[in-house]
Amino acid sequence: MNTATPAHALAVTLHYAEPPSFSIWEMVLLALLIVLSLVGFFARFDRVLRNIFTARKDPDFHIAPVGRRIWDFFWEVLCQAKVIKERPLPGLAHAFVFWGFLAFALVSLNHFASGFGLGFLDSDGPIGSLIDGFYFWFAAVFALLVAVSIAGLFVRRFFVRPIWLGKKVSYESGVIAFLIFALMVTYLAAFTIPSTSPMARGLWWAHALCILIFLPLIPHTKHLHLVLSPITIFLSRGEFSHIPPLEGDEDFGLVTGKDVTQLVALQAYSCVECGRCSEHCPATNTGKVLNPKEIILGVRGYLNDLGPRSEEPLLGKYNSQEAAFQCTTCGSCEYQCPVGIEHLPIIIGLRRGAVNTGAWEDDHGTKLFLALERNGNALGMSATERDKFIKKQELPIFDGSQEYCLWLGCMGAYDPQGREIIASFAKVMNYLGTSFGVLKKEKCTGDPVRRLGNDLVFQQLAEQNLEIMKQQKVTKIVTICPHCVRTIAKDWKDYGASPEVEHHSEFMARYQDKLPKTNGPEIVYHDPCYLGRYRGSYDQPREVLARSGKVIDPPRARERSFCCGAGGGLAFLGEESGERISHVRAKELAATGASIVGAACPFCNTMFRDALAATSDAPPQLLDIAQITAQSIANATTTPSNGAQNA
Amino acid sequence: MKIIVAIKQVPVRDSNLRIDASGHWIDEDDLSYEINEPDAYALEEALQLKEKHGGEVVALLAGPERGSQTIREALAKGADRAIHIECDDLASLDTLGIANRLAAAIKDEKADLILTGLQSDDLGLGQTGVVLAELLGIPHATIIMQVEAASGSIKVKRELEDGWFQHVEMPLPALLTIQSGISKLRYATLMGIKKAKTKEVRRVSAGDLPQAAAATVTIERVYLPEKKKETQLIDGSPKEAAAKLVEKLKFEVRVI
Repeated sequence: MNTATPAHALAVTLHYAEPPSFSIWEMVLLALLIVLSLVGFFARFDRVLRNIFTARKDPDFHIAPVGRRIWDFFWEVLCQAKVIKERPLPGLAHAFVFWGFLAFALVSLNHFASGFGLGFLDSDGPIGSLIDGFYFWFAAVFALLVAVSIAGLFVRRFFVRPIWLGKKVSYESGVIAFLIFALMVTYLAAFTIPSTSPMARGLWWAHALCILIFLPLIPHTKHLHLVLSPITIFLSRGEFSHIPPLEGDEDFGLVTGKDVTQLVALQAYSCVECGRCSEHCPATNTGKVLNPKEIILGVRGYLNDLGPRSEEPLLGKYNSQEAAFQCTTCGSCEYQCPVGIEHLPIIIGLRRGAVNTGAWEDDHGTKLFLALERNGNALGMSATERDKFIKKQELPIFDGSQEYCLWLGCMGAYDPQGREIIASFAKVMNYLGTSFGVLKKEKCTGDPVRRLGNDLVFQQLAEQNLEIMKQQKVTKIVTICPHCVRTIAKDWKDYGASPEVEHHSEFMARYQDKLPKTNGPEIVYHDPCYLGRYRGSYDQPREVLARSGKVIDPPRARERSFCCGAGGGLAFLGEESGERISHVRAKELAATGASIVGAACPFCNTMFRDALAATSDAPPQLLDIAQITAQSIANATTTPSNGAQNA
Repeated sequence: MKIIVAIKQVPVRDSNLRIDASGHWIDEDDLSYEINEPDAYALEEALQLKEKHGGEVVALLAGPERGSQTIREALAKGADRAIHIECDDLASLDTLGIANRLAAAIKDEKADLILTGLQSDDLGLGQTGVVLAELLGIPHATIIMQVEAASGSIKVKRELEDGWFQHVEMPLPALLTIQSGISKLRYATLMGIKKAKTKEVRRVSAGDLPQAAAATVTIERVYLPEKKKETQLIDGSPKEAAAKLVEKLKFEVRVI
């Protein structure tokens, strides 16, 4: 076959060659093949659709706000923004293939129409006559880009073989890539011959066959994402790590197939197995069982084998309980996923199913649950210890007259390092002249149990806290813990209206002009998952730190920040298997050479305190942004009397 | 095996206790309550025995309305049903009075085994279980660390002083008072709480039970521990002072 590209053949004389006419036998054959191909496609796709539609309805799904959905569709599907942003080179190649497909939709339609003598794009056709065959040239440009891109992607998958695409080489992907390549080549080749050439007929049929073979392969393979992922992205819940409310007395989370909702099923079938989730997962990267991709494929496998009405447990053959409880809920997977899969509601849903029914047995977990039930704090300490700390630090008690309620959180109230952060932040607030008070009584916000899937304890804690909020007439909360921020701002809402809440980095950033500006040392800032990906606060803590030193980023920063290992209740679940997540991150932070590690979460702080000491002989100093700021204030207020202390 | 577990509701640990106006009991306003800790282990033991040998676990509680919360938790953890003796006068009863009520409420149950906590976290008398066994006319054993059931009898391990244990075999029915911390407690689940809603709670009014004789033991006065600090200065040469200090630590304070 002549595969000369039209790059140098873009001479005016050439045009897209199609056979001038088709015999009746050809038309019959074509019709038969089309029917066969469509039957092949729907035979399988129908089962997928049925599995999605017969799944349980999502109790809290609302189509509104449509604007957000249209934007997501435009940005993530049409612009391919996420695909390109997170993996630029293969992302762009993918985008060209995608855009090529869009451009080719009309060409393909015309292709089959012309097989029945109904072509509309050539210069004699109803549309073609208006644009004088222009569209063929337009599509040809895309054909060229698609051919180059798909060839590149083929080389990547079969020769470069990034580990995230999976250990097993997917031959079906090779077949599909070949079909797409052949589709483009047969199209482009038709520009190099006259319509009267017998080659034109050959190319025409080859092109048609490529499409007809491709179609039934789609629902069999991960190429189903072609059909489903635009819908998945449009219908996604939109909120990061949105945990749906439990509905009625029989809903305990994802226990069996009956609990799988339509969105979960749709997402499971949309997975394209690109491995972005695994690539960024702290558990997968430190040798644990958990691989977010496998969780999604596990759900898909379950649906394929048993369907959404099955009462077989979801955790067992298809997904492991051990894996589900290794998730730090850092949300990298959900953030990265290019096809709109929301991993966290699924992983947390599986945990809910296990914990709410008592199927999860773990000594550390049970200890945590009992501590929260009995003591109301995750550290299992006596509330009198909190009282003593408040007294010792002379923190004012909130009485409704102050502007802010300073929420201590378990770490701020009981953890020695957390207490130092609170003490420092109180100094900053005093310096800024903001009135604040701490609550006499405070329970854990319920973050660890929320993420571990214990709805009973979470509900108790949320309700008790909301009652305190109401009694004390709290309207504005500021806290040092991003986990508390998230839980108060989003998760409490299931049980009542919660007050406005802000992280101390956001608070300090608003007053940054009033904070002393010094040229301090290099500070490497670690984005906490719950402040960054969960809340989008990337700049505020950096702005605050920039007042006290030179902020530098570790290799993985902002949206790509690597978890400290504490989230999702894992701080309380004892020793990890494999390498410690905190060690991996601590090494990365120390390797930047900065003299200070700036943290903005008391959990990150406690993880790195041990990890930095364990992985480095001369570890950088570890400080919360409040401690760094308080130190700058202390330096600034003493300097007038004793000269240039802060060089 | 039918097992009855007698549980008590006590103020949560670390409560800020105040003495009430009468001076005979604590002020119960603003207090939160929870299951008495040794009773939680008694319940756990009962649930484990049921899981091993089948049967039924019945929770038994005497106390005011707020006790129903603790009953619900026991049902949520796996008890099959409950008996709530409703009474507001627990503080005025002595051990015999309470045991009398418990015995009267369960005399028709014909339980194979009755478990209680070793003692209560509020009064700490450690007698209720023993007296209950006497009233029911069944054998009992105290400070139980381990229970193994065979047909018609059980083998138990008792904790003695100084790291010693006693292994006893006893016939059924029997009553055991369970030591705290002998096993791992289970956590209550949402499913358990939902199921608990449909489980039977038999409410018995204290007035319907035979009245016990007047209390033979009454509380004279309840008071908070007085905080005092005593400082003694030991004089003499360092050698003499050290010798005196060691003597005091050994025989007065008894810490070495």
